Amino acid sequence: MIKMSDLTKKYGGRFALAGLDLALGTGVTGLLGPNGAGKTTLLRCLATTLAPDGGSIDAFGLDPADPVQRTALRRRLGYLPQDPGFYPHFTAFDLVDYVAILKELTDRERRHAEVRRVLAEVDLTGQAGTKVRKLSGGMRQRLALAQALLGEPDLLILDEPTVGLDPAQRMLFRTLVSRLGESRAVVLSTHQTEDVAALCERVVVMRDGRAVFDGTPGELAEVAAGQVWLSDAAPPASRVFWRTADGRYRTLGDRPPSGDATAPGVEDGYLTLLGEAA
Amino acid sequence: MTTGWHISDDLRDGYLAGTLGTALALSVDAHLGGCARCRASVPYDGDWLEASWGRLETELIRPRPSWSERLLRLGGVPGHVARLLSATPTMSRAWTVAVVAALAFAVLAARQQADLLPAFLILAPVLPLTGIALAYGPRVDPAHELMAATPLAGPRLLLTRATAVLAVATPLALIASPLLPAPPGLSAAWLLPSLAAASGCLALSNRLPVPIAALAVGGLWLAVVGTGRLTGGWLAPFEPAAQVAYGLIVLSSSFHLYRLSIK
Repeated sequence: MIKMSDLTKKYGGRFALAGLDLALGTGVTGLLGPNGAGKTTLLRCLATTLAPDGGSIDAFGLDPADPVQRTALRRRLGYLPQDPGFYPHFTAFDLVDYVAILKELTDRERRHAEVRRVLAEVDLTGQAGTKVRKLSGGMRQRLALAQALLGEPDLLILDEPTVGLDPAQRMLFRTLVSRLGESRAVVLSTHQTEDVAALCERVVVMRDGRAVFDGTPGELAEVAAGQVWLSDAAPPASRVFWRTADGRYRTLGDRPPSGDATAPGVEDGYLTLLGEAA
Repeated sequence: MTTGWHISDDLRDGYLAGTLGTALALSVDAHLGGCARCRASVPYDGDWLEASWGRLETELIRPRPSWSERLLRLGGVPGHVARLLSATPTMSRAWTVAVVAALAFAVLAARQQADLLPAFLILAPVLPLTGIALAYGPRVDPAHELMAATPLAGPRLLLTRATAVLAVATPLALIASPLLPAPPGLSAAWLLPSLAAASGCLALSNRLPVPIAALAVGGLWLAVVGTGRLTGGWLAPFEPAAQVAYGLIVLSSSFHLYRLSIK
């Protein structure tokens, strides 16, 4: 469905994407990686807002390097950027309506119906008439998600979509995205490993512009198998550890004195994989 | 509000079943609005009520057109294009620059300043470029990244916005032209260079960021004027042969833009 081959992008002397190969299909794919790993650059290339320096992208048989095919691809994607930027004097309805026009929904009645639909999807119906500047951070994030849903896109690109959402809103987001992922390609970048564990059937870990892991969340967790421990005594201060709710110490790496092995999670796998780079 | 009278069970059942006459139903409605005890005896689905209010609220909320949007619609601009042009602050800035520049020229021209003509002819083609540079791009539009992934982004949106800026700036500058202390032909000699600069900038913007394209075209124009001054006087870039060249640039750039906009 979507294939990226040998993708490169350089900022100054540093490679943000260093020959990345990645294929995406129907379902939810999560991108994990430390800051500067290239996640946002990758998503921007995929969203056609940034041209890669080298390599190719084939999305639904369309090549975004070609202006005509780029426009055709834009008709099939929804994009929530990391920093969406808003016009603060717009109401929530105005903003989504404006994006709907840019998405070529010219008929007023149809467009307004679609705006109402996506606002309802993100539970912002009650705030439709509220100015953007008066919305909370979580509401703005949901508003940004709403505009991405316009026109039921085949490819949904979400750059850190859960930033600023409270637990209830994150549940709503997970429900919505997992439903969308049943019939289309959804790719999201996040620092929240629990979102990846809960939502994504596939996870890609990026570092220095390359994919260093590509598999299921379970497989990522398995990377840390036999390296996660619970102990009654605090491990040496040089190790990273924390005290859990039941008063034991959880640590990653070599077995601490009197440590009991415990099941690893996605976060453990991620930290083990990236080491200090995480 | 509390009252001594409360609706009977029969009345309540009739109200819930919808069998009461209109007048009686409205009376019960009014009573329920003021009597907490009777209201509590009428079962309702809170979630349904909230969702219904939400739907009703959204149905009632429609974008209220701004004065500029209404004006554009009155001028025959399609509703969605009018909304596109009038909604964003970037367009307001571009329009403001265009209008202020044209009016400033008009005021100066009216004062019949002796050195104004060369300045007017040289700067008039550059001013629309400023408007275009202010109309589109990540540095001037806070929501640029959000909009850039939409099908209308790029040449089509830029062309729409630039046309809107030119549609305001050009007629205003044309109004200012006759006030200049020069023959009519010469006072309008800026028009083709101006259109050539604007269309050239738009055509270049397919390859370069808009502000860079505007700077490049503006710089090229000033270089042309400077060369003309060194070789044959400052009027050389406005003579008929040069005007033909500007006309050809306008035609070829417009054709290129047309092809881009229909893709």
